Amino acid sequence: MASPVSRLLRSPRVLVALGMVAAVAFCAIFCGVIAPHDPADQNLLSILTPPVWASGGDVQYLLGTDSLGRDVLSRLFYGARTAMIVALFASLGAMIIGSILAHIAGYFGGAVDWLIGRLVDVWMSFPPVILSLILMVGLGVGLDRVILAIVLVDWTRFCRVLRSEVLVVTRNDYVAAARLLGFTHWQTVVREVLPATLPLLITLFSLEMAIAVVVEAILSFVGLGVGPDQAAWGQMIADARQNVYQSPWNLLLPIFAIFFTVAAFNLLGDGLRRTLDARLAETGH
Amino acid sequence: MLATVAKLIARRLLAAIPILLIVSALLFCVLRLLPVDPAAMSLPPTATIEQIEAKRREMGLDRPLPEQYLIWLRDALHGDFGRSIVFGREASSLVAATLPATVELAAAAMVIAAALGLGGGVLLFALRGTWFETVADLGSILLLSIPEFLWGLILLFVFGVVLRALPFTGEVAPNLPQPHITGFILLDALLIGRLDVFWSACQHLILPALALGLAFSPAIMRVLRSSLFDVYHEDYIQQARLRGLSERQILLYHALKNAALPTLTLAGVQFGILFSGTLLVELIYSYPGMGNLMVDAVRNADLPLIQAIGLTYCIVVLLINTIVDSLYVVLNPKLRVR
Repeated sequence: MASPVSRLLRSPRVLVALGMVAAVAFCAIFCGVIAPHDPADQNLLSILTPPVWASGGDVQYLLGTDSLGRDVLSRLFYGARTAMIVALFASLGAMIIGSILAHIAGYFGGAVDWLIGRLVDVWMSFPPVILSLILMVGLGVGLDRVILAIVLVDWTRFCRVLRSEVLVVTRNDYVAAARLLGFTHWQTVVREVLPATLPLLITLFSLEMAIAVVVEAILSFVGLGVGPDQAAWGQMIADARQNVYQSPWNLLLPIFAIFFTVAAFNLLGDGLRRTLDARLAETGH
Repeated sequence: MLATVAKLIARRLLAAIPILLIVSALLFCVLRLLPVDPAAMSLPPTATIEQIEAKRREMGLDRPLPEQYLIWLRDALHGDFGRSIVFGREASSLVAATLPATVELAAAAMVIAAALGLGGGVLLFALRGTWFETVADLGSILLLSIPEFLWGLILLFVFGVVLRALPFTGEVAPNLPQPHITGFILLDALLIGRLDVFWSACQHLILPALALGLAFSPAIMRVLRSSLFDVYHEDYIQQARLRGLSERQILLYHALKNAALPTLTLAGVQFGILFSGTLLVELIYSYPGMGNLMVDAVRNADLPLIQAIGLTYCIVVLLINTIVDSLYVVLNPKLRVR
């Protein structure tokens, strides 16, 4: 069987998804260079200008301006930066907390497993939207607060799914063999269990990035997101919702940006699952 | 049969009590750790430090946290969830006034999600092995990438703004009377015998319910399809074929029944999330339900109201999960305890 990496690079699904993610990442990293305007610059003389292809459009503002005369294109680019930063760090945080607890619960079992299981149960009985809103009341607005809120809500997704995987892996003979060879618990988990759960971990990470992009957009839409100083797609939608008849493009463009990014991560997650999951890969080829 | 189910529901509800206690305690702690002072907030800005201190004592805020929680719990068990700081009304009466609208919206959305999910799942399965399968598979991943939040905005744009076919703000047209008898607007419209109000309420309900339904159907679709694949590996499908049943009969009368069970488990979880998803849809469509109340409360840091609504969401989600779990037992003969 070919190595996982070369199998990944032969999957059209993964390649297309990687291309889409790269496009968003490019906008996020280089938004300072490619954005024609400062995203916060207001030009009150030309508010709600339509995009350049519509009548009344202005070449200076390729995709038009919002209700405060800010350049929509530049705000889309900076919104990509906000979305990607939140997605990356929130997913990393949720993954670290969730997978550490999952490995502890699944590897040791018994009372620890029971305790962590109940913790996840209680946590998950809060609907995610409600919990994140309540947390944002306490944490206040800001990029770091949004990331923290998503980590605190979504670690359970990793914990619940990974725990059962760890449970299965731990029953393998090679794990017992490692213990017999005198490996410590730490060594056994890191060298024997983790490599087996890694494919699932990577897939979940990709899917979590999609969720984080949506949650960031929702919180910014409600006005409890990254705060007014930072451009965010959710804010752009909230602004455009007020002027939907005058400038429909202002609503459609950030919606498309969110959809594109979320679809990229979902497609990547699906492609990763198909190629990395050894069982699926064997039956599929 | 009915007695078993009733017993089962009772047992599940009893098991939910400790979870609810922990959830309410957690909610209480999170909200009390906030850097906002409910005493200062419920007084005019001109209040002196002494007045605020007196108010703090009156509200019990000077006592230790566990004691505060027990006081809150005692009051809550008597149906008193405190007074909303912003609205100046009982939090429980505010929740009671808005909950029916949200339940109505969620119920309509669940029907749509179930219908689309079942129909789509069977269709996807029936088309297996054709070129359309890959297209549909990719399509369902893309559909999964559109959360209720985006569906709400897209439908609002297409049907409300471009086609101007459907209204997209509020519960009924502003020039019509808004009956408040049970709180369920469709029912109230019939109770006062106004078909025009009923029709208007239906029109206002379509877009938000469709947005939620569309967001939650792809997951149901995909699980139903993969359960159908699993079922088709079973011997009884082969035997049905040997008995001379048509493929359509096998699918509709044998496979679907068995594939419905795993789908139902997922649908239960999905419906729980769907209920909390009403919050965003209500916000987008200015629908006067509990979600808009929650957003108001959150924006104003109205602690008693946030606590009451947060707990209500948790209770309803737990209830939905309990009902679906019981349905699972009713439909699955293997799980019936005698």
